[in-house]
Amino acid sequence: MFSNLEFFIVEAFRSFRRGAIMTLVAIGTISVSLVIFGMFLLLIINMGNIVSTISSKMDITAYVEKDISLESAGALQLELSKIPGVEKVDFVSRTEAWRQFKEDFGSRLTLDELVLSNPLPHSFAVAVRNPDLLPSIAKHISKIELVDEVRYSGKLIDQVKSLVDAVRVGGAALIILISFATLLIVVNTVRLTVLAREDDIYIMKLVGATNTFVKWPFIIEGVMIGVIGGFVSFMVAKFAYDAIIMRVSHALPFVPVVSDPRLLGFVYLSMVAGGMAVGMLGAYISVSKVLKAEGE
Amino acid sequence: MISLTNVSKTFPNGIDVLFNINLHIGKEEFVFIVGPSGAGKTTLMKLLYREESPSAGKVVVDRVNVAELDKNQVPYLRRNIGVVFQDYKLLPRRTVYENVAFALRVTGAVRSTVRRKVMQSLELVGLLRRANSFPDELSGGEKQRACIARAIVNNPPILIADEPTGNLDPTTSRDILQLLDKINKRKTTVLMATHNKSIVDDMKRRVVALEAGRIVRDQMLGGYDV
Ligand SMILES: Nc1ncnc2c1ncn2[C@@H]1O[C@H](COP(=O)(O)OP(=O)(O)O)[C@@H](O)[C@H]1O
Ligand SMILES: [Mg+2]
Repeated sequence: MFSNLEFFIVEAFRSFRRGAIMTLVAIGTISVSLVIFGMFLLLIINMGNIVSTISSKMDITAYVEKDISLESAGALQLELSKIPGVEKVDFVSRTEAWRQFKEDFGSRLTLDELVLSNPLPHSFAVAVRNPDLLPSIAKHISKIELVDEVRYSGKLIDQVKSLVDAVRVGGAALIILISFATLLIVVNTVRLTVLAREDDIYIMKLVGATNTFVKWPFIIEGVMIGVIGGFVSFMVAKFAYDAIIMRVSHALPFVPVVSDPRLLGFVYLSMVAGGMAVGMLGAYISVSKVLKAEGE
Repeated sequence: MISLTNVSKTFPNGIDVLFNINLHIGKEEFVFIVGPSGAGKTTLMKLLYREESPSAGKVVVDRVNVAELDKNQVPYLRRNIGVVFQDYKLLPRRTVYENVAFALRVTGAVRSTVRRKVMQSLELVGLLRRANSFPDELSGGEKQRACIARAIVNNPPILIADEPTGNLDPTTSRDILQLLDKINKRKTTVLMATHNKSIVDDMKRRVVALEAGRIVRDQMLGGYDV
């Protein structure tokens, strides 16, 4: 087997070099397809990220009755944070809320002249783990005795939720579609490199090579073409994405962009692995077809 | 060694090519298959190494029932049959050495064995000097020698040659026939299709004449014509 392996690799390299133009075309096709695939994946990931950033910023504001003591406020905070699905509870004192309010609107109104005492109650900002839980948690909170009023932006949440679903479903469907398109293109390109060697295959079969034996050099060549194509596409995608991140964070600083190196690494790795897989699969499908056509 | 019993062949397009062929060839025989173009010589030979399957009848090669052979056993059948073609079928971008070695490597032979056997084979056909030449640098006779070297490198008990001299001049043809004779004397059964009258007449071997898919003559020490 070891000496066969050497033969397979030598044959693969030989055909790789010999069909130089065909090999380059195949590598180029795989690269372009994978760049499209990778950039699309990054787009989907970023849309998901934007949506989840928006929904994570949505919280429930619970206004408490006006004249409760700080101790009972503390007890209430503890109670709120124990509700299942609640991530974090921040106490906003009425003084703080008033200061914030004045800061937000103070330049337009001279509030202190109009309103002598602080009209605002203490409140809690309740962040939830999952935006789906907002309505039920809001309802739960509104039943607590000391709570006066609960607010959250229900309509916006529904819209964001349907956007999340659309991105998830549509993105997954498109990724599958693009994967198939990539595979199809690669299979057809690699098929050209196999067809260029039909005579070799005929002679191999005639002198008694088994089908498995005939297939190996092609599969190795397909893997080489796929890995190189995947690597080229990774470089192109990384270069392009880094440039886009820089522009966006400069021009639209409030838009969250994914820059987690582990997530990006996963995307880039999946491009190289994807290249390898389609190269291998493309070669396997093509050579099997040729063998089938020749076996009676 | 080779035995065809009541063999007929109809191609899928409905063309009948062979009719009720009965032919038995013993070990180490040298047999000419003669007949005009289209008589069915090539088809008959293809039945032996299962490039075609018979529509009816039984084909036995070296005790193996070829028609009923499992598909994944066909490669092992073919390792016992060397095939030589009129158009050589050498791989153009490989040297003579590589072409011959290729036939051994695909059977899984190790490098050292390959080297020894390829050299022996090239020496037998008288092509050692041209080992590193590419096919298009060779004359027709040399190409045919390379093709023969590839066919016998695996030491098959049977050699099939389909009009091996079809593209060669008379002198070169005679050389090739001497080579096939030499291979036959090394205990290889040789089956050769041809319509080269002078060669057949010279050699005085068994002659099987095909006409329109039927055996019309089977004669020991025969000539091209009756
Ligand atoms: N694959 C095929 N399909 C249909 N007809 C074929 C095929 N191969 C050969 N034939 C026909 O079979 C007949 C015999 O061909 P062949 O065996 O090549 O004859 P020969 O070798 O004696 O010249 C011819 O009429 C040819 O057209
Ligand atoms: Mg013929």
